[in-house]
Formats: sequence, C-alpha cells, structure tokens
Amino acid sequence: MKPSLTRRHFLRSSTALIALPALESLGFRRFASAAAPVAPPKRLIFLGFGWGITTESWFPDIKNPGSDYEIPAGLAPLARHKADFSIVQGLCNKYSNEGHWGSTMWLTGANRFAEPGQNFHNSISADQVAAAKLGLSTRFASLQLNGAENAEASGHGPGLSMAWDISGKPIGGQKGPVEAFHRLFSKDTTPIEQQKAMLAQKRSVLDTVLGNARAMQRGLGKNDTAKLDEYFQGIRDIETRLNKDEQWIGVPQPNAPLPEPQPGLAGREEIKIMYDIILAAIQTDSTRVLTYRQPVSTLLTSLGIKVAPHDMSHYHSTLGEKLDASQRRDLTQSELLSSFIDKLKSTRESDGSRLFDHVALAYGSNIRTEHNLDNCPTLLTGGGAGIKLGHSIVTPKDTPLCNAWLTLLHGVGVKAERHGDSSGVLKELLA
Amino acid sequence: MKHLFSPLAALLLVPAWIQAAAEAPKAAMNERHKSLLQDHCVSCHGPDKQKGKFRVDELSFSLSNLETAEKWQKVLNQMNSGEMPPEEEKQPAREAKADFLDDLSNVMVAARRSLSDQRGVITMRRLNRREYRNTLRELLGVEINVSELPSDTGTGGFDTVGSNLFMSGNQFEQYQSLGREALTEAFAWQAAAGVEKKLRYEAETSTPVVEKFVAYQIDARERAKLWVKAVEEAAALPENKDIVAQLKKESKNDAIFRRSWEKIPGAPSPRSFGFDKKGENDADLANDSLGAGWLPYHQYYVRQPALDRGAYLGTQTRHPAELNVNYIELLVPFDWPVGDYIARVRVAATNDAPPERRFLDFGIHARTGKVMATHEVTGTMDAPQVVEIPFTLNRGNAERFDRTLFIREKGSWDTNEEGGRKRSEALKRNSIGPELALWVDWFEIERVPNASKPTPPGIASLGLPLEDKAPAPTPQEVQAALERFATEAFRGTEPPADYIQSLVSLFNVRIKAGDKPAAALKETLSVVLSSPMFLYLAEPTADETRRPLKDAELATRLSYFLWSAPPDAALRSLAKRGELSKPEVLAAQTERLLNDRRAEGFIRAFTHQWLGMDRIDFFEINRALFPRFDTATKVAAKNEIYETVEHVLRHNSSLRDLLKSDYVVINRVLAHFYGLPGVQGDAFEKVSLPQGSPRGGLLGMAAIQFMGSNGERTSPVERGAWVLRKLLNDPPPPAPANVPAITRLAGKVLPTHERLLAHQEDPQCASCHRKIDPIGFGLENFDAAGQWRTEDSYQATDASGKPDPKTKKTWPIEAAAALHKGPAFNDYFGLRDILASKSDVFARGFSSALVEYALGRPCGFTDEPLLSTMLRESANKDFAVREFIRTLVASNEFRTK
Repeated sequence: MKPSLTRRHFLRSSTALIALPALESLGFRRFASAAAPVAPPKRLIFLGFGWGITTESWFPDIKNPGSDYEIPAGLAPLARHKADFSIVQGLCNKYSNEGHWGSTMWLTGANRFAEPGQNFHNSISADQVAAAKLGLSTRFASLQLNGAENAEASGHGPGLSMAWDISGKPIGGQKGPVEAFHRLFSKDTTPIEQQKAMLAQKRSVLDTVLGNARAMQRGLGKNDTAKLDEYFQGIRDIETRLNKDEQWIGVPQPNAPLPEPQPGLAGREEIKIMYDIILAAIQTDSTRVLTYRQPVSTLLTSLGIKVAPHDMSHYHSTLGEKLDASQRRDLTQSELLSSFIDKLKSTRESDGSRLFDHVALAYGSNIRTEHNLDNCPTLLTGGGAGIKLGHSIVTPKDTPLCNAWLTLLHGVGVKAERHGDSSGVLKELLA
Repeated sequence: MKHLFSPLAALLLVPAWIQAAAEAPKAAMNERHKSLLQDHCVSCHGPDKQKGKFRVDELSFSLSNLETAEKWQKVLNQMNSGEMPPEEEKQPAREAKADFLDDLSNVMVAARRSLSDQRGVITMRRLNRREYRNTLRELLGVEINVSELPSDTGTGGFDTVGSNLFMSGNQFEQYQSLGREALTEAFAWQAAAGVEKKLRYEAETSTPVVEKFVAYQIDARERAKLWVKAVEEAAALPENKDIVAQLKKESKNDAIFRRSWEKIPGAPSPRSFGFDKKGENDADLANDSLGAGWLPYHQYYVRQPALDRGAYLGTQTRHPAELNVNYIELLVPFDWPVGDYIARVRVAATNDAPPERRFLDFGIHARTGKVMATHEVTGTMDAPQVVEIPFTLNRGNAERFDRTLFIREKGSWDTNEEGGRKRSEALKRNSIGPELALWVDWFEIERVPNASKPTPPGIASLGLPLEDKAPAPTPQEVQAALERFATEAFRGTEPPADYIQSLVSLFNVRIKAGDKPAAALKETLSVVLSSPMFLYLAEPTADETRRPLKDAELATRLSYFLWSAPPDAALRSLAKRGELSKPEVLAAQTERLLNDRRAEGFIRAFTHQWLGMDRIDFFEINRALFPRFDTATKVAAKNEIYETVEHVLRHNSSLRDLLKSDYVVINRVLAHFYGLPGVQGDAFEKVSLPQGSPRGGLLGMAAIQFMGSNGERTSPVERGAWVLRKLLNDPPPPAPANVPAITRLAGKVLPTHERLLAHQEDPQCASCHRKIDPIGFGLENFDAAGQWRTEDSYQATDASGKPDPKTKKTWPIEAAAALHKGPAFNDYFGLRDILASKSDVFARGFSSALVEYALGRPCGFTDEPLLSTMLRESANKDFAVREFIRTLVASNEFRTK
C-alpha cells in the first residue's frame, strides 16, 4: 500500500483477495465433510537446531548412498523410521559466512552483503513463501515458534524467529510452549458485537498512527522514506491480520487437544511439548506452515551437560567431554524427532489417511558444526511433498540448499520459480 | 563514485592506523600475489581451461564492485577449505600461501566495508531498545522491563545504527502494550506519591525457632532409636525369619528395610513413637530423625553469643521450609505501593570472621539468588554498622517471590552446587560446617515518599487528575492535555491537528465503551507512545542535500548521544531560542550533559558494545576451580570496566589510562579479589596501585581476562583477537567458514604453547593466528577468572567424562613471545608496555567507534578527515577523553543531516 492510498481502499482489495479461500475453509469444508471427504491439505514444517551436529557420527557414509545405507550412531533413534526419511548431503547456502548464524539465513539463502550501503540484508524465508499460499484459509497464515531462551546462545544468529518476510525483515514469534499454547488456544469469550467494536477501535488506532506517519513522511529523503516504509509495512501487516480476524469473528477457537503446558519447561521437555503443540496446531487446522527455532543451550543443561554450547560445537580440538556433549545432543534431538514422527504417523486425517503423508518436514541447520557452513545437515521427512524417502542422498558438493527448499515448495503445491540462490529443484529428491 | 575505485589506488595494504586522510578505500589485492595465481591457478582457470567456469587471469585486483568481491570470496573459500589447488597439484609455499590468505581476507573486510559505506548518509532511525526504555523513564518517571523487544544488537554494528534498526507489525503492538504498562506504572507512582511506610524485622525472632528445632531433633532422634530397636526386635523373632529375609533382599539398606515395618508381624508403627509424615510413609520421618541431619551445626549455632539480640547468617542445612539459618527474608507487604525504597541492615562481622567472608549480599528472591548489591561489613560485635541499600519496587514485583527481599553472606549459597561444596569443605575441616561470620541485629525496609520529587514532564503536561474517582474532564481539557502530552513525547515537535483530533475520538470511543476517564486516557496515550513521531528521530531533508541540523534536531542528537535519552527542558529551551548551534553554547552543553548522571546511559551502552562485553554473560565460571569468582565478584568485575571508563570520562583523564595506569577503580569486593588495600568507601573509587602490579588498564581487569576464557580454561586466541580488535584497531578477519579443523592433537594433553603451535603448520590457520596467538601467550599469566598465576595444568577426561589425574600435566607459564613482524617481549609487563606505546592506534579505534555510535552509521572512509581531526585535537591534550567527544560534537558531520 502506498501511504497515499486510504486504508479503506486497501481493505477492499485485500478482502476480495481473501474472501474466496476463506469461504472454502470455513463453510465449504464443514459442509463438505458431511458429504464426500476432501483431500487433506499439505503442511510444511521447519525445525532448526542452531549449532549443528557431530559430523563424524550423524551423517551416513557418503560412499554408500541409496536406500541400503547403515544408520549412523547419531540417528540411531530414528532407525524405526528409516524408510520414511532421507538425509541429504552436499547442500549449502553459498553466501553464508557467519559461523555463529545457524538460522538467520538457513531458510533464505540470502547474501548478507547483497545490498550496497548496508551491512545486513536478508530475504524471504521458504516458510513465508509457502504461507502466502497455504496460509490463506487458516486462522494463522503461519506460526513461528522459538525456544524459550536467548537465541544467540543456541547458535541461531540474529532474527526474531526463523521466518523473514517478503522484504527480508525479521518476523516475530512465540517464545516457549506457554506463549505458543495461548496464541493457539486461548479462548476469546468476548461477545461478537464487542469483538467487532474492538476491531473497529484497533482500526482507528491504526488510522491515527498512519496519519502521524504520513505527516512525518513529508519532507523525508529517499533513505528515510524507505526506513519509514517498514513502519507502514508493519501497520499493513496488522491490517491484513485484522481483516483475517474479522473473517474469523464468531468462529470459535478450537479446543486444545492438549493441556496447557507447565511454565518454565526448558530444553528436552520444552522441545517435546513444542512438538505436541505443533501437532495440535495442525490437528486443529489453525495453521499449515510452522517453523520452530529449537533451544540448544537449555537442551544441554537439561541433560546435565556443563559444556558451553558454542564450545561443544568446537569438539574437534579436544574431543573428550565436548565430543561427548555433542553426541548426546545428537541422540536426544534424534529421539525427540523420532517420537514426533511416531505421532505424525499415528494421527489420522478426516479421510483416514496418516497425517504424516500430508506433511513435509525439514530438520537441520545452516551450521554443520564449528564454523562449518558447508554440507548443512538436512533431514527431510513426511509424505506431503512427494519426495523420495528412505534414502541417503549425496548431491554434488555445494549444491544450493535452496534447491531443497524449492523442491519442498513445489511438492506442497507452491509453484515458485526460484527461491534464494536456487538453481532448480533437486532431481535427487524426486521420487 | 566510480573514480574513487581507480585501479591506480591498488597499492600496498596499509595497516588501518597509518592511513592518512585517504581519498579512496584500499580494497585492492596486492599485485605481488599475481605470481601465486599465475603459478598455481591459471593453468586450469585461465585462457586455456576454465574449470568450473571460473577464470582467475581476468580477475581484477581492485575489488570495486560486488561481483569482483564475490569472485575473490570464492577464491578465499576454496583456498581456506583446502580444495584449491587440488591435492595432487603442486602446492604454493607455506609462507607465500599464508601471506596470500592474510592479505586476501583483510582485503575482503576492506571491500565489504567500502562497498557497504553509507558515504556519510545518516539513515533516520527509531529509538533502540535502551533509548525507548530511557525515553519512557524521562517522560513518565518509571522504568519498565523492555526485554521483550528485540535487543537491536547482533548484526555487528552499534545499536544506534539506523539502517539496522527494523520495525514490524509485531513490534508496533509491543510498543503499544509497553507504553500502556509504563503509563499504568506511572499513574500508580503518582497515586502513591505521598505514602510513607516502615517495617523492622528483629533478627532474634528466629532464635527460639532454632532452639526449638535443636530440642526437637534431639528428642526425635531418641524416639527414632527406640522405634528402630523395637522393629529390630520384631524382625529377630524366629517366626518372621522368612519374611524378613525376603524384605532384606529387596532393600538396599536398613532404612529402606524399615519402610516395610508393616509387613513384619509385631513391629510397632512409627506413629506410635510420634512420627507422622502426613500421609506419606511415616518410617521416612523416623529414619530421617535418626540421622538428625546438621544437628551439630544447629547446636553450634545456639551456643553463639548475642542470640537474644540478633541472628547469624549461616549455611543451608535443612530444607528452608523446615529451618532456615542461611538467609533472612523480608516480604514487602502486599499493600505497600510501588516506589522508591531503602533497605537497612544492622550487621556485624563475628570476631573470628576471616576478611574474605565479611561481605553481605542483598537481593530479591533468595532461591534464584540474584544478587542486587554487595557490601563489606566493617561493623564488629561491639559496634555493629547499619548498611543502607536503596532499591525500587514496581508493578512487576507483584508475586510473593518478587517482593521477598533477602540478605545472605556473600557467595554462601549462590547455587545449590556451590553452597553444598563450601559446606562440605568446612565439614571436612571442622566436622560441623561453615563457621558463622555475620551477625544481624535487624533488617528493615522503608518506603520513601516521592512527593518532593518533581513530577515527570509527561505526567505534568497532562494537568488532569488521574484517579478514577475524579470528575470527567471537559472535551476542551482532554484535547489540550493530549496536545501537551504529544508535544512533550515528540521532544518538542508539535503534533498535527488532525492527529490530535483522532486521539480525541479514540478517547471518546473508550469513554462510550464504559472506560473511566483515567483508563481511557491511558489507552489513548499509549497510541502516542507507539506513533512514529515518538518512535523515530526524524531529520527531514530533500534527497541528496545535506543541510545543517535545526537547533531542535541538534538537541535531540546530542542528548541521545550522551544520555541515550531525550533532551531535557534546558536543552530544548536553548534550542528554541536558537542558541544551541552557537559553538560555545554547544560546547558548554556537551560538558553539562557529560556531567549529568544520565551520561551513564552513554557510558554503559557505548563501553559494552565497543569492548564486546556480551561475552561476560556468555559463560559461567567453573566455581569448583575458581571458588572466589562468586556471583558478587563477577558483577563487580563487570562493573569495574564501566566504572573505570566513567572515572576517566568524569575526570577527563587520558584515554591512555585504559591501556596502562597506576591506579584502578574498584570497590571492596574487587579489592579483596585482587588483594589490594586502600578502598575507603562503600562504592567504586580510585585506588593507587603498588609498584609492579599487573592491574591498571583494561588488560589488568578480571572481567576482560574472563571474557578471554570459557569459564574454565583461558583462550589465548580469544584474548589475542580481542586485543587486535579493541586495543590495536587491527581486527583480524572474521573466523573463516569451512577451514578444516586440526584434529591431529585431539585428546592429547599438551601445554598451551605447543597446542597452539599447530596453528603455524597450515597456511590457512597461520595467516591469522601468527598475529593473534603471540598476544594471547603474553596474557597467559591471567587464569580464566583473571587471577594472576605462574603455572597452568591440564588433564584429559576419561571415557566417563571425569578428569583423569594420571594424564595431568603442569607447566610454568611462558609469557614471552614476539608480535608478528613486531617487537619481542619477555613477559606480560613487556607486552603491556608495547601495547601502551600504541595509544595512537588505540585512540583511532576509539574514535571510529565513537563516530559510529554517535552518528548512527558505520564509520567509513569518508570519515577520515573527521577521525584525523579528532586524533589531532585530542593528541594535543594528551588524549584527554572529553576532547574526542568535544571535537566530534563540534564537527560538521555531527551537526549535519
């Protein structure tokens, strides 16, 4: 929206855009479910774990690709799902050069220095590309979940979550299970008329600050106008959300399929509950696109490991307790993922199929370990994107990680031409 | 812009500090490296073959655009990872390769810098997180917790650099809710302005409790013995033989065996001996009473003198719910309002208390143990002293644990692990527990009325009653109040009329919805606090034109530079009268702002980011190895850095003092840690150093050395890199990605020197480490906690993760080394002298950090003239610190949009 356009104008156009799929999701599906079952929707999940993994014991043997590979020690807890996930080796974000940023550019593949005159630049993340389409008919276009701890300590790098918007600006997220739970399931018991009045009031607040922004914009130079545009964009995002809220007025929040999490859960317990919340968000069709920036620092503490997380990732020089910590981290993460996959498999869609078959899930980090940004650990699972599962896949060295993201996007029905620095889809992944 | 990158500028890469007022950036690769490319690369990446579609023969040595820079980055990556030249090909000589990588990685940094240069353009910026908090504080008189906002750091620059300060819809809503919170808090402070309260807790209240507990423990132990005897008698009965044998087999020990007393015919119930565990197994209580845990310590406690008048601060013995002799707690009653408070403790050190144990910790919520203040106790049992500790309570302190104050002996129970360790050490020594060191007469809290304080300007500007009971203001009154408040919030800029009209209608909507006037007002004002004119520091100007700042803009820029807070009434009125831009007035105001307490906002934030202090909170110290570096000491060590910079600035001393000085600025906690006499008061103060002390200057500070460790072992690499970055203004390029790790030495026990020598084997490592490591060696006399040491040791861990003493190796510290292409030194003192002689380099780094912080944009090559002026002017005054600031403020750059 150009600031000179009125918000009403904007409202008209965006409502028209949103109305159709909303109709399908709210009325049609409910109606349809009584008649013939509709095909379950596709979902996309990204789980990121900052500091990486233990190279020597997490990757399958590179010399023996294919389906007949030996499960490495770090993935042992996933053995029962061997036929249902693939490990891809050789992927990387070629522009990444920050050894402590495991999540900042993981889903974007951006070049930090791409913008002359700026020392930080990012671009849209794969989840947000998907959310623009998959998010039209759910209460939340996407959900960004974060560990309840300081992200720097876990090697995630700058960012408010793993998601970056269309202009490459950070998108905020929910910190820890309690916040996530409330975002999804807190009941709004306010009467509808009052909800509408509150919505109207929120809009007049936005009108007021927009007016103020326009007044300030007069006389600003090009750079400053661009800066202020972020504010306009922020307000616009809220407008979009309010429009969506409006569509959802009177549609009751779903019942939470799990109890409210205890406050203060950390590390292992936090991840476990977060996976349950992700599952609950999908079961209630609250959203179809999720990212979770997992805690690593508190994961170590919750395992009684005293080694500092960054130090752990530098296990090469001393081995011993650092290597031990690194491998225990791998095992615990694999165990957690393995039981999450169990749950995805045992959860049924309305047509009786497994939820697992409609989910595309990527699990990894921009950091391999230490400051190594090549061969980014990448595990792909779920039948949602129709990719080849059960394989240890080795791509040519330094294949863009974004090729994998593009493949997933295509797989879940988002026909993007390219993403980040992608050079095409990953043939190796096509089933 | 093109002409600046003329290939003719491609000359030697000059160290940053001797660059004169350069016209062009030096982002050019040294031509002498052409031969390396020619000999090792061109055959595959040249006119004949273009493997990987990559040619090096056409690669420009001047990195004047992104494309060329990316190509060179590729070269750097390939050589760093060891991919190129391929293994089977002829390899370049080690030294030549190291030089090549050294130059190229530095050229890449220079190229990044010049390609991202903003050419002096200052982007409009929003308030960063700290400034937002401070601005609310100045406006409303309350400080709120803003930690939910993004920290605005992490992308490398200062948190004042506008282009890195983003905004999102999410954040807009956070501003609104934080603004609401601040207003609620401020209204509550106003409502409670006159409230006066006082409460004293007499410490001897606990004496009968301890005495009773001792009597109970003795009695319970006797009863437990009798019960045990009775159970054993029943167990000995021949007819119970089988069942007893079965139970014993299942039980690890006698106590567990006795839990099954019910299954043994004839055994009496614990309850018949007075043990009632309230629904759980009563035998547990009897078993526990048999051990009478910590009874000797409790008996030792009740034998002490002066228990009729006070109590001792001891160790943790039983669960605090049972008996607590570790700390004294005081709950601020729930009906006491927010405001300024003072805690007072009448306290004495016992006669035998060793000097290091005469310190008192104060804080809120004893279990998490966050220490807010630490005081040395100089009072004696004959003449106790009263320690005064000011603190504030706000709406956040609502829950019981958030308003329960505690006092405890310093470091006696920072964590369960650490407290337990100290306790068991004492137990080994005297078979009782830690000797009692502190005695407390009473502990009191007072709420200080703030009626005499001036009303915060934002609240004063409203001129409306804020209580719910007050009559509703007239529409004219509301409109006028909103106008005044918005003008104040917008730092003097008058709000547009239609904006005020919108606010008025928001207010009316709230009233119609049933809000009380105060609540409706709060809601409306929170919109002001999330409006762009509040959040952004705007200096409107048409494109490409530079213009002098208007006086009001200058006032804002100056106060956010030196206070991280909005201009006060005095500054604004000077601006309004058009006087601020007069050089002598501007200079005088710079002095005034620096003398004001608010300058702390600048000192702390600038110092923290300039010196990269976030590493201090990155690591926890290993307390088993460094028991003296307790929580209070860590807090004091961190503060030493701030306090020293503040001292230098307040007294306008030389910047050189930060490299080497004959004094330190410490408090009593640190005086003990360093073993230095002479601190007089209860706060940080300047103390002269004895001859030959390693302290004095940044390198002598515990926190600086702690940052160069992982809390357990020193990291000469971190330390060396920090010195290059912060003191020598010669930052090594960022740790390159994808360099193969040296695994040859993994798991071996080696002295630091030998281990790090491995860095010299690979040219990829040597290119940076030959500069970094020698400096780190020179600092090895400081252990991970910054204490002086003369030897170091290491032991490997065995398979179970425990240190294996058989592998222990001890070696004397060898601090002698030589700087890369520089002078040699024999020890730490030699290194310190070398560094101290480089104050011009240090001053240059400091200046460029100041420029970036103050102007809110990276310091680029276009700032060379400004840097030269700052250096010249301050050098004339022996690098007096304020001279840098004065020159910067007086510069065109500072006074121009």
